[in-house]
Amino acid sequence: MSLLEYAVLAGIFYGLYFALVGVGLNLIFGVMRIINLAHGDFLILGAYGAFYVFHLFGWNPLWAIPIELVVFFGLSLPLYYLLVPRLQKSGDPEMLSFILFFGLSQVIEALAVFAFGNDQRSIPASVFGGSPVTIAGQVYPASWVVSAAVGMAGITLIYLYLYHTRIGRATRAIMTERSEAVVTGISVHRVSAVAFGIGIATAALAGIFSPFMIGAIAPSLGMGITVTSFTIIVIGSLGNPLGTVLGGLLYGEALMLMQTFLTSWAEMFPYALLILVLLVKPTGLLGKAVRSA
Amino acid sequence: MLRKTLARMTLGTAALAFSLGAWASSPSTIKIGTLYAGSGNFAQASTRQYDGLKFWAKQINAEGGLFVKAYGKRIPVQLVAYNDQSSTTLAASLYNRLITQDQVNILVADYGSVLTSVAIPLALEHHIVLFDETGTSGKFFKPEDKNRYIVLTGLPTSSQWPKVLANFLHTVGSKRIAILYAANDWSGSQAETLKTSLKALGANVVFYESVPNSTSSYSTILHRIAASKPEVVAEFGYSNNDIAFLQNYESSGLYFPMVFVPNPALHYEVVRKAVGDQAIRHVFSYVAPPLIRYNKEVNYGPTLDAFEAAYAKSGGKNVDLSTVAGYNTGLIVQKTLATSATFTQEAMRNAVDTFSGKIFTLDGLFQVNHEGAQTGESLPVGQVLPTPHGLQLLPVFPLKSAVAKYVYPTPGK
Repeated sequence: MSLLEYAVLAGIFYGLYFALVGVGLNLIFGVMRIINLAHGDFLILGAYGAFYVFHLFGWNPLWAIPIELVVFFGLSLPLYYLLVPRLQKSGDPEMLSFILFFGLSQVIEALAVFAFGNDQRSIPASVFGGSPVTIAGQVYPASWVVSAAVGMAGITLIYLYLYHTRIGRATRAIMTERSEAVVTGISVHRVSAVAFGIGIATAALAGIFSPFMIGAIAPSLGMGITVTSFTIIVIGSLGNPLGTVLGGLLYGEALMLMQTFLTSWAEMFPYALLILVLLVKPTGLLGKAVRSA
Repeated sequence: MLRKTLARMTLGTAALAFSLGAWASSPSTIKIGTLYAGSGNFAQASTRQYDGLKFWAKQINAEGGLFVKAYGKRIPVQLVAYNDQSSTTLAASLYNRLITQDQVNILVADYGSVLTSVAIPLALEHHIVLFDETGTSGKFFKPEDKNRYIVLTGLPTSSQWPKVLANFLHTVGSKRIAILYAANDWSGSQAETLKTSLKALGANVVFYESVPNSTSSYSTILHRIAASKPEVVAEFGYSNNDIAFLQNYESSGLYFPMVFVPNPALHYEVVRKAVGDQAIRHVFSYVAPPLIRYNKEVNYGPTLDAFEAAYAKSGGKNVDLSTVAGYNTGLIVQKTLATSATFTQEAMRNAVDTFSGKIFTLDGLFQVNHEGAQTGESLPVGQVLPTPHGLQLLPVFPLKSAVAKYVYPTPGK
């Protein structure tokens, strides 16, 4: 019973973190209908940012949060105007985005190898204090609790942005029906650029905690993280950020429970879950809700 | 008199013709074909291994080339290398290109068993000796395969690695051992050997499970291991597995009297920097060059000290086992061509047998069996211990190799 309790709570921590990993990808898809295959690479760049904040300056990686949110948001705006409007003029932006962002992913990976080398890097888990945290009689790494807390905070902020700000409501209008949003006078590119920036910045935010949740970082890990993110958002529902929370939690629970009871199959099960969800509900678990929002 | 003169002239002409013929047929360069992983999972070790081989080639060319006994002269070395991006599919295609299009004289494998595995059938099919740098899988050297076209230049086969560890655990009286391994051949063969050896020594393997290679979270698994109350936890995986394992162990609040992971032996500084001093202190591992230092014993090529100094002078940095393995492969190729009487692959392979067990390089004793598996080197058990120069991985067993006394059980956290 103790192991089951441990796994369930660990799944929640892990799931909240992975919801943060996926939410940026889903926001970008929901608003722009483009698939950012470089999502994992932005996350890895965020991880390197935290690595250097810690190793060069000796600062706690939490200091990387404000720095990276500003830097990645700022850099993503010109990237948006360089790439996305052209993509959306094409006949099939979704498919073209696949190819274009795959190329971008390869470019980022290659540049990261030049800049950071191929060595695996990480940050000692002791930066969040040497002692683990006891919750409900179970002992968890402090870094997991911090990562989950930041994940929850990040998702809450995105929720507040989408549902309680004017630009957020405009964002949801575009997500629901882009052409109608244009007719109503919403500045689609301005709103989309902000959503794109938030998507990239949340990827970098998740990257700050990846050394503790995903293990050692290396330039080649980006594509694998993108695939995991994609799994999570498809389980929840493509285009629905709230579905990502559900997808993340299911992913975390599936992984932790399998690691506890069927270790060898742990990495495969979330993908089996994805296939099951797609067969039963092809739009994802919250698929219908997003269309009627 | 005339007959004698004619006979001398005939002999002289024949000798001249023979030497001219040999000169004419000698290649202008010795083409050494190899692959390296510029990106992907094996990039870290592969690029360093390639750097070691490149450094050897640079040194040899600075000396006027490689002495090739078959031609009785020095011939410059030309490295032909392609980036396989850690992909076995791409590697297979590129090995084929090296053999069939580039027509290399010497074929050197990429790092590790995964990227070496695809070269083996090609080398066998084309009858070219594969100089295997670090592909230590026991499957490559099965006697029943009768493959004479492979030579493991450094490191024993991975299934041999944990034998010293098993003896160590027996010596310190550990009875309850947990073994966790990543589902790859390198890790699996070590885990299997350790389990078998421990059982033969009367120890109880209380936990024995595999995890996927991509496992990056060990906290839940560590709690399962703790439930089996082991005295020793041995985790076998790639460096990403070891790093995640040590990080999760450190922050788990759990305590095991001994933790063993293999990768500090291969990339000590990389692992130490990744997990931090606190997480790696008192961890056990294997010890391999350059952490175990061969200087006095070396009778072929530079000593480890001399190599490190020359490598640093040329701008190289971060010498680790991969760098040494790459350079050592160059030395074995050098000795092979200096020994082989004819410039054929079969003669080269036979030449290797003639100096096997007789040369000691910066990587250790070079000795291969009939199948080409390395049998000369062994990996002592080491422990990360505090020294005046900071934490170092020092040999602690067997006692003849030990430079420090092991700490077991390790202090609690």
